Amino acid sequence: MIKELIEGLGVTLKWMFRDPVTIQYPEVKRTVHERFRGRHVLHRHDSGLERCIGCALCAAACPSQAIYVVPAENSNEARYSPGERYAQVYEINLLRCIFCGFCEEACPVDAITLEHDYELSSYDRRSMIYTKDMLIEPVPAGGADTPQHRYAPPPQEMPSPSYHRGRVESPPPGGVITSWVERE
Amino acid sequence: MSDKVNLLVDDQPVSVPKGTVIVEAARRLGIQIPIFCYHPKLEPVAMCRMCLVEVGTPARDRATGELQRDEEGNPVIRWFPKLMTACSTPVSEGMQVHTATERVQAAWKATLEFLLTSHPLDCPVCDKGGECPLQDLTLAHGSDMSRFYKSDKHHFRKPVPLGDRITLDRERCIYCARCVRFCDEIAGDSVLTFYGRGRDQEIATFSDPPFDSKFSGNTTDICPVGALTSHDFRFSARVWELTNIASVCPYCPVGCNIGLAVRSNAIKRVMPRQNEAVNEIWICDKGRFGHHFVGSPKRLRRPLVRRNGRLVETTWKEALSWTAQRLREIRDESGPDALGGLTGAHVSNEDAYLFQKFFRAVVGTNNVDHRPLATGRAEDEMLVAELGAGAGTDLTAVGPGTTILVLGSNVEEQQPVLYLRLKQAAERGATLIVVGTLPGKLDRYAAHTLRCHPDSEAWLLWSLIRVIVGERLDNVDFLDRQVEGATSFRTASRSFSLNQALELTGLEETAVREAARAFAQSEHGLIFYDGDFVSKRSNPSLTEALRSLILVTGHVGEPGSGLVALWPQANAQGVADMGLLPSLFPGYRPIGDTPAREWLGQVWGAELSADPGLSLRQMMAGTQEDRFKALWVVAGDPAAAGYGETLTKLDFLIVQDLFLTETAKQADVVFPAAAFAEREGTFTNLKRRVQRFARAVTPPGTARPDWWIVQAVARLFGAGWSYDGPAAILEEIAQVVPPYTDVSFERLGTRLPQLATTSESHHTYMGTCLENGGWVGQPWDNEAGTPDRRFKLRWVRPWVIQKSQNGVLDLIHSRTLFDSGTRIAQSEIVRPLIPKPYALLNPRDAARLGIAAGEVADLPVPGRTISLPVLLDAAVPEGTVVVPENLGPQGGGD
Repeated sequence: MIKELIEGLGVTLKWMFRDPVTIQYPEVKRTVHERFRGRHVLHRHDSGLERCIGCALCAAACPSQAIYVVPAENSNEARYSPGERYAQVYEINLLRCIFCGFCEEACPVDAITLEHDYELSSYDRRSMIYTKDMLIEPVPAGGADTPQHRYAPPPQEMPSPSYHRGRVESPPPGGVITSWVERE
Repeated sequence: MSDKVNLLVDDQPVSVPKGTVIVEAARRLGIQIPIFCYHPKLEPVAMCRMCLVEVGTPARDRATGELQRDEEGNPVIRWFPKLMTACSTPVSEGMQVHTATERVQAAWKATLEFLLTSHPLDCPVCDKGGECPLQDLTLAHGSDMSRFYKSDKHHFRKPVPLGDRITLDRERCIYCARCVRFCDEIAGDSVLTFYGRGRDQEIATFSDPPFDSKFSGNTTDICPVGALTSHDFRFSARVWELTNIASVCPYCPVGCNIGLAVRSNAIKRVMPRQNEAVNEIWICDKGRFGHHFVGSPKRLRRPLVRRNGRLVETTWKEALSWTAQRLREIRDESGPDALGGLTGAHVSNEDAYLFQKFFRAVVGTNNVDHRPLATGRAEDEMLVAELGAGAGTDLTAVGPGTTILVLGSNVEEQQPVLYLRLKQAAERGATLIVVGTLPGKLDRYAAHTLRCHPDSEAWLLWSLIRVIVGERLDNVDFLDRQVEGATSFRTASRSFSLNQALELTGLEETAVREAARAFAQSEHGLIFYDGDFVSKRSNPSLTEALRSLILVTGHVGEPGSGLVALWPQANAQGVADMGLLPSLFPGYRPIGDTPAREWLGQVWGAELSADPGLSLRQMMAGTQEDRFKALWVVAGDPAAAGYGETLTKLDFLIVQDLFLTETAKQADVVFPAAAFAEREGTFTNLKRRVQRFARAVTPPGTARPDWWIVQAVARLFGAGWSYDGPAAILEEIAQVVPPYTDVSFERLGTRLPQLATTSESHHTYMGTCLENGGWVGQPWDNEAGTPDRRFKLRWVRPWVIQKSQNGVLDLIHSRTLFDSGTRIAQSEIVRPLIPKPYALLNPRDAARLGIAAGEVADLPVPGRTISLPVLLDAAVPEGTVVVPENLGPQGGGD
């Protein structure tokens, strides 16, 4: 009996010298996996123009109808995205969102991805509807904020072969499958 | 020999009329042959090559002409060596068609690969995405690969505006020519064409202003790709996010069936809804782009009352109780005939019925009217009720054997979709006679154009009748059987001098004789007359001439024969049916008809006044003499029709409208009303078809439907009304108004099979509204067709025309499609189409008066001088000036 007691306390003693499993949240934050699906981020081109073209395919794909898009037309005087169309209103109701990632899969221009922010709580429902200002990433260095005063042609490389995170540099194993033969 | 042809499509037998093309025959069997350029309303051109199929015909012995048969006795089929286009190959007896073979499937795949060589594939930003035949057919039959280099794609700068309303994306175009053919064949405005060759080919417009057509919006519907899109709908929503609500266009009395596409409680676009009896699949640009008034921020949101000289917002309770109190005070002081009501002619049947019931049964007066400038003479209003075209009149079937006479109306400007249908009827072989002072586009399709001097229309009609009677072309059978007074009519006709009439109208004798013969000798005769013109003139001779022309030719009662009144406003027919006339009860029963009045009084539970009421003209005259005290205006703007000053003399003015109109600014109480898209109801179109529209969006603020407001005031007057909606009111209408006996909300919601729609079969027909299979309405019939019905003929000599003297110009009013009305003004997109007020003058008159084109000039017209910018037009008769009456400031648009 004494033996068992010592063995048991030994386990306790052993764990006393290990790192604790619990994390002192919020002072300490857990790092998440690279492909973790947290809050959405709307991306920008290097020029600062928004990637989103307001096609609402994310809203069409969304199984919980959490996304609301109102599109509008770009002009050279007030340009938000390359090409003709941009999202004037882009809202995600994060209370409805189930973080399935269908929106990023549906996006033809890699404008939306699910990122690592998981701190999503609020005292009221209203503030859980995230608008475009809250979702869009900051203007990259060297770029300008929207609206810009210039012409930008529609993105020709659409759809892009890279789904996730919008910045896959090397093609996935097995090569890129495109529907068009590229000239040698 | 029957005119049916038997053939086999994919080994299934089908029997179709001779002349049918293979695509249609296959569709009968539910076999979808993919198409882009073929459209059932257009001539086939076989441009896109999408519909290739294998076709074979039975082989015949060259010597004997006998069918060759194989050992088993089956006919030997000789297959065409190459694939045939199914859209342009007519069927023949014994033909066999294969659509499912490998060869055909490979051809479809290859055609799609070719069509996509330069297509930009920008579906995510394209407005057509989601209802695009190219998307759907590529998914169904196309390849996921292309053998063409992507970098060889031919790019155009995008987009280019093709006129003010339509945007062209040249990259997306697949050169099907549907838009070009629509403009050439259907609209009759040849303003689009192909420009350039090969890959540089593009759609171009060569009119000035560009794409100058009233039907331009229809090209965006039938475009099978996203090449043509409307400025209005551009990027405002994805099509799958829209809900389509069945409605009826609120602008003109053609009553085009429309679908309101709604998202987030706002109308995003208006699309035609197919109804072969009304508008086929077309609508005009006014109906398509004029919907913005519904969502306008200028709409009235709360009731207003006048306090210390200013209109201030208040509650319904206060506004209603004050209105009822004031109306009662005025009635008790000055009698019920000091009160009266006016509606616009675009309120629904239910509103109109309840409004006149309020004045007749609750207030106790017949002072109700719906047209600011008409005289309200009962005979003018009863023409259609008595001799209207038979309920079965189908303009799609009108062709050889029918003569159509159009009197005094510029149909193209006033009822554009009817213009399309009259044009098509003429092209199918109907004889078109156009009668009027001013030229119009319909003249191009007319067999006889009778261009008469101003105000001589009655003389012209009587001379037609004189010729018909004189040449013994009258329908003796019919006259003997059903018409009284034919003998004295014939005698009277002999004293009518044709020469005098020819001199007054300025026409050649042969032209008049030929037109008269054409009308009398055809199997069916239809007269489309400008109802507004007739009721404003209130010329007993003109009205009687219209009756007599129909009666002497016997074109009475049967489908395809009779009178059709053309009005400027959407529900003018229905409002008159509902008895919103000073001289007639609902169902065209004269006020003097005692049994009818007593019966109606019993149904309504009230003592009805036996005195004919006042028309608005008379009410306004009464106001000047301090006899008429209180006016209730629903959806009308008498101030814009020139009564502004008189209105200020009223003791009490109630206005119920969508906007703060000129009249509303003078009102004591203003009620905010719900627009047509914000409530249910029915309209009756010019062919007397009752049509139902549904609620699509919610009204702004606390705005209420018109019937609700009328009922609320009536209840405060002590009437025990408790209608819970338009359906209940229509039930009562069915009891009270005889022609509406069979009408009910359920029956109006009948659906008829239509051309296949985008939602059910993208692969055959596409381009009209997503939901177009619904609610076709029903026509009401008059009793003209019953064989024991008796008519009276009377010869009424026309007035002697007073020619203006001393250089004073005769004033003729015309109307333009886009006008100064409050509703259309809310649509930014059509604003460039609304002309500034102008006067049209003959160049010779202008030279005589020393006026240059574009100059603002003082023009002497009878009784006054008008000051307007002058435009010159050689088609205007000398000595006259033409002023569009609906462009303001005196206009009174709708």
